[in-house]
Amino acid sequence: MTAASDLAASGSAAPVDSVRTLALNEVGPAERGTRPEEVVIALSPAFGDPFTKTIVDVPHAEVIRQLLAGIEERGGVARVIKVYKTADLAAIAHHGAKLSGSGIAVGVLSRGTTVLHQRDLARLSNLELFPQAPLLDAEVFRMIGSNAAQYAQGQSPKPVPTRNDQMARPRWQAKAALLHLKEFECIDHSREAVEVEPVITKVD
Amino acid sequence: MSLVDPPVAALALVIGVDIGNSTTEACIADVGDGEVGRLASSLTRTTGVKGTPDNTTGAVTAVRRALEATGRPAGDLATVLLNEATPVISGLAMETITETIITESTMIGHNPDTPGGDGLGVGMTVSLDDLTTVEEEVPVVVVVGAGADFDDVAHALNTAGERGVDVVAAVLHGDDAVLVVNRLTRRIPVVDEVSAVDRVPLGMLAAVEVAAPGRTIRTLSDSYGLASTFDLDAEQTRQVSPVARALSGNRSAVVVRTPAGDVTDRRIPVGTLTLSGAGRSLDVGVDEGADAIMEAIGRVAPLDDVHGEAGTHVGGMLAKVRDTMTDVTGQPASEIRIRDVLAVDTLVPAVVRGGLAGEVSRENAVALAAMVRTSRSRMQAVADALSDELGCETIIGGVEGEVAVRGALTTPGTSVPIAIIDMGGGSTDAALLDRDGTVSAVHVAGAGELVTKLIDSELGLEDRDAAESVKRHPLAKVESFFHIRHEDGTVQFFSDPLPPHVFAKVVTVTPEGLAAVPVRGPLEEVRRVRREAKRRVFVVNALRALAQVAPQGSLRLLGSVVLLGGSALDFEIPGMVADALAPYGVVCGIGNVHGTEGPRNAVAAGLVDAHAGMVAGPAPEKLQRRAAAS
Repeated sequence: MTAASDLAASGSAAPVDSVRTLALNEVGPAERGTRPEEVVIALSPAFGDPFTKTIVDVPHAEVIRQLLAGIEERGGVARVIKVYKTADLAAIAHHGAKLSGSGIAVGVLSRGTTVLHQRDLARLSNLELFPQAPLLDAEVFRMIGSNAAQYAQGQSPKPVPTRNDQMARPRWQAKAALLHLKEFECIDHSREAVEVEPVITKVD
Repeated sequence: MSLVDPPVAALALVIGVDIGNSTTEACIADVGDGEVGRLASSLTRTTGVKGTPDNTTGAVTAVRRALEATGRPAGDLATVLLNEATPVISGLAMETITETIITESTMIGHNPDTPGGDGLGVGMTVSLDDLTTVEEEVPVVVVVGAGADFDDVAHALNTAGERGVDVVAAVLHGDDAVLVVNRLTRRIPVVDEVSAVDRVPLGMLAAVEVAAPGRTIRTLSDSYGLASTFDLDAEQTRQVSPVARALSGNRSAVVVRTPAGDVTDRRIPVGTLTLSGAGRSLDVGVDEGADAIMEAIGRVAPLDDVHGEAGTHVGGMLAKVRDTMTDVTGQPASEIRIRDVLAVDTLVPAVVRGGLAGEVSRENAVALAAMVRTSRSRMQAVADALSDELGCETIIGGVEGEVAVRGALTTPGTSVPIAIIDMGGGSTDAALLDRDGTVSAVHVAGAGELVTKLIDSELGLEDRDAAESVKRHPLAKVESFFHIRHEDGTVQFFSDPLPPHVFAKVVTVTPEGLAAVPVRGPLEEVRRVRREAKRRVFVVNALRALAQVAPQGSLRLLGSVVLLGGSALDFEIPGMVADALAPYGVVCGIGNVHGTEGPRNAVAAGLVDAHAGMVAGPAPEKLQRRAAAS
């Protein structure tokens, strides 16, 4: 499972052979939003840099692009923040939710694990949890974005169908543990969360 | 009470057991010299279908529970009184009588949540791949297949536009319409989520219309709008008018003009019902709708039997009802008479045949509740089994309606003449006790079960428990983790956060907490469906049944009406029935048997009172007291 082979595989399915890269440009400290329909996407310390793809090689550019697309398709607005003080998904997402104008946030770890959170919930609770990162592809990230926007608009979306794979745990656990350790090393306790502007560039 | 009353010698411990469609109720009392000393009552689920030997288990449970409550041994029990639970086993069926068929992929009439752009675009259909070879200045509608990325699609459309191609609209497979439109240099109407986009015919003239948010399309949903768009003559316009009708109310639509394409709004021939009664028989087509059926039933009242045309759905449906009854009762199907039918018009969401986007249209359907009488002998079997089990005498009492009247008469504030409406699960029963002591009773088909079924099918829940919950409990919308808005608009706050699974959902407010209703529509829609279902079954049946027992069929001659049965405990049905009866000057309210039992236990209490009355004389105790007072 190399990046090259995976790209070749996805290239054959997509009509255009091209790669998109992600740059997260810091725009300032993460502050509390005021727009009532706003969704915050809260990213983990290693998201985008140094990591560039999830545990199953979905490019981070694609993760962000699809989440934003899902929100945009539903007429929502999004802000992206990056959290440095913790690599705990629940804490990242809840922090995002507290900064979100609507109280809704999507928390994403570098390896792909995702959660939909709301600010009034207990930190370890959630609206929708996608714990098996290896099963999350572009299509699922789109649906997560779409649901986040709908929650923010006070609608009641159907939960994103969660896939389940009995083999995901034995097959991916070791890699997940390594990725988590890597992510853990990127934690910077002295650094406050920042708002970032995602810039997605297409490279042919 | 029994300890205070001295005449021990004549006292006998008697228990009345009422086996209903869904609950079995018991009322235990000391009876002697026409005096009734009620001790306790109990309630349990009916086992098996009412009026069959399977009921024994439930009846024994009810008796045991009542005995436990009094603390008396089973040996003390002298008599068990059973209701004549003959009459009612009901069957339900639903028959869709219209269907929409799209031929040759003429139109896409689904309502994606988020179409893009707005306005009307008319042009030739081309696939995305062929866009590069299309001539300039030709208006085109681009058809985009599965797997295309929104950025790439927008880029391709913009490039074609720069080249001079007149891209006027697009039809997409994915949920990308807003995304694509946001990236276009020129805003066009885009319809998305068309799952069978590969079946859209290419090289044909097509029109795509998207309305602004909160509005519906104006041109494609109008016959002359279609005629202007596609340059049709009068005859062709007549042919496409079903397309216009099928699209009305949508926010977006696509119409493709193909040589033989058509949308048919077809009535399914569903056969006739043959109603016999009053010495004649009458045929009525099921596809004429509920009103026509009910009117025909009124013309042959009292109904003796109903048959459905063989080889049709309705024939099969009634045969199935008969078969079910045969299985339950062991009687031959030829002896089973369908004594009443309630027909209700309803709308059922159904997938459109030939649709390209999984279009769902709300088709007309007729729900039929049929009521069947079973033979008395089955009740005797229950009585025998009960006697064996409990070791005491078991007597089968009078007709449910008559005993229920006696029970209802113990409600404070009632007087003779009195009418009751017993709203149960399978049937609605009415009975009238006249001044001269005569009781007339009637059973009509359709009650709580039918309401549940209507709610289930109209909301497309396909979940009976959820439908039951919608029927039983008021609705609310969870607006945040700390507050809900009830259906009447009041807001309730909570100090602890609500569970995440009800967040932003329409919920039912149950005693066990909030339960999410699996619908996407607004609360008002669910509420409307619930109230309409109740009105069409309970209000219609209450009026229908009362008219059959009322003197000269006039509701104005009824004095007081007491509502009984499980559905009388509902939070809105009694009010709806009372409202419907108010114009007739009738006093209508919820029964309160013996001033304590509420609308439950009327039959069980009535059985005991009737038994005591038989020992002492003809009239029940309260009547006697009333006679003595006057």
